[in-house]
Amino acid sequence: MPNLLEVRSLSKRFISEGGPFRKARSMHAVNGVSFDLPRGRVIGVVGESGCGKSTLARLILRLIEPSEGSVTFDGDDLMAKSPAQMRKLRARMQMVFQDPYSAIDPRYTVHRAVCEPFEVQGERPMADEVSELLEMVGLNAGLASSYPHQISGGQKQRVGIARALALRPSFLVLDEPTASLDVSVQAQIIGLLEDLRSELGLTYLFISHDLSLVKYFCDEILVMYLGRVVEAMPDTAAPARHPYTRTLMESTFSPDPSKRRLIAPLEGEVPSPFDLPPGCAFADRCPNASAICRKETPELTTDTGHAVACHHPI
Amino acid sequence: MSMLEVRDLGVAFGAVQPLSDVSFSVGKGETLGLVGESGSGKSLTAMSVMGLLPLIGGRITAGAVEFDGQDLTKLPEKAYRKLRGGRIGLITQNPMTSLDPLQKIGPQVDAVAVLHLRMTRAEARARTVEILGTLRIPEPALICERYPHQMSGGMKQRIVIAMALAANPAVLIADEPTTALDVTVQAQIIRLLDDLVKSRDLALVLITHDMSVVAQVCDKVVVMYAGRAVERGSVEAIFERPRHPYTQALIGCIPRGLEGTERLTGIEGTVPTVMNYPSGCPFHPRCPRAEPICAREVPAFSTGGDSAAACHFAEVGHAKPA
Repeated sequence: MPNLLEVRSLSKRFISEGGPFRKARSMHAVNGVSFDLPRGRVIGVVGESGCGKSTLARLILRLIEPSEGSVTFDGDDLMAKSPAQMRKLRARMQMVFQDPYSAIDPRYTVHRAVCEPFEVQGERPMADEVSELLEMVGLNAGLASSYPHQISGGQKQRVGIARALALRPSFLVLDEPTASLDVSVQAQIIGLLEDLRSELGLTYLFISHDLSLVKYFCDEILVMYLGRVVEAMPDTAAPARHPYTRTLMESTFSPDPSKRRLIAPLEGEVPSPFDLPPGCAFADRCPNASAICRKETPELTTDTGHAVACHHPI
Repeated sequence: MSMLEVRDLGVAFGAVQPLSDVSFSVGKGETLGLVGESGSGKSLTAMSVMGLLPLIGGRITAGAVEFDGQDLTKLPEKAYRKLRGGRIGLITQNPMTSLDPLQKIGPQVDAVAVLHLRMTRAEARARTVEILGTLRIPEPALICERYPHQMSGGMKQRIVIAMALAANPAVLIADEPTTALDVTVQAQIIRLLDDLVKSRDLALVLITHDMSVVAQVCDKVVVMYAGRAVERGSVEAIFERPRHPYTQALIGCIPRGLEGTERLTGIEGTVPTVMNYPSGCPFHPRCPRAEPICAREVPAFSTGGDSAAACHFAEVGHAKPA
């Protein structure tokens, strides 16, 4: 199967300039991320807040410029494209945002919001296209004249999905599309995304902090910690090999009272991403850390297709 | 013996009735989970118990809130002040806004013991350092000199817990204590609360939308929907033999990526808001089992085994969720 997306050594460094009372600092929000996404697959990116998942999403769509690295979409090197060429290409790669409350202009009707992507491309939707799109995402076409404040959060997220689908893309980046929704509505939206994937043959990059949701929804998983991919799981049934992934799994509660376990919580919290010390970023919280972990940053290596960036993988 | 008992609680704001018929009790060393989606009345129940309704313009119109045998609904504000933050502690959802950003941590926590236990500043500080230590906060004496913005979210939530514990509460109400936190930090905080319940014989009311948290630490559960309790029972009964269609559907909505791959079912429609609560059973417009009676009459609780469900068809035996 040909790869729809190839990401190579993608990095983004943010520099916070110094001032009279502050030293200049830099942070690697995304650090040397590489992966392939075959057509029709769903890859999940999971990690805690500040691990760089949303920055990665924006880099892939070139909504922000990377410091290093390349992204190839359907054979096209995105970094070589002019802004006008990028705009044309983005018709085929769209994004669904986390917060449907701020992703839609409050002064636009649902109809106008769904028309917006056409306007950006200098096109006009066909007569029934907007109502078809609304029906495709399970919304009554009668809602077209409503304003965002008149509809519920779940309905707003459906509008967000309809907008993303408007230009018939082949690739969607889903950035925590259900994080602000109730669990019963989350299940509806996830079901809708599953249906759309098989009907339209879509490829997804799914970003979430919820490991059980990622395991449910995705074919492959990338686990990120402080800007780096620490583990790339080729399938969701694979046991964790990185100590961080294992901790993440152990911290995820089971919805079954008969499977209570003594949670041995990970001590400490994610360190500040500014000016990280050398070595593995997880070393200070890792039960298996040794001297080498504090000196050398482990590379993401694999011999079985299940890659892990750890000096002492499980 | 129950430390906190809420019976048939009803709350109104003017003509709007956002809470009706909520009952539960929680005893020493026990954790009760109050679970439901947004707008189901969980936080309002917490506000009612804390006697904070007048602040937001609400009032208790029915039922009783008993703390240690004393009815709080008839308590004058002055007496309530002694209880609130004293023998009944509250942990709020957002640790980022629960602390005064202009005051150091130490004095903020000290104030609780000074006010409620009539300690001197020095005694209160010694107590603060001790409590911070038991919450596994490293270098507690140093932390007292820090400002909230110098600390992480998980650490701030521990400070909020320390403030709730400072006056030796008998009952602790935790309103979504881990919603703003990452999973690894959530696991730490939930574990900490569970340890406190056991070591201090606390009665904990844990308010959450997360069924997995409930499954892991609660002894008893009340499921709320649209301002009403719809099912209550032991945690095993609620998860293994849910009798209310809403509870069943809610359990079917939890992604179980770590265990199985059954398709998530979702619940048709949306959660009603307080301005359009349905008549009769609040769940009937979304319920697969609904019949005409459900729109007319509010179902009474019927008990079966160790749970009770407010459903006209609770006895019929609904299909067990996957």
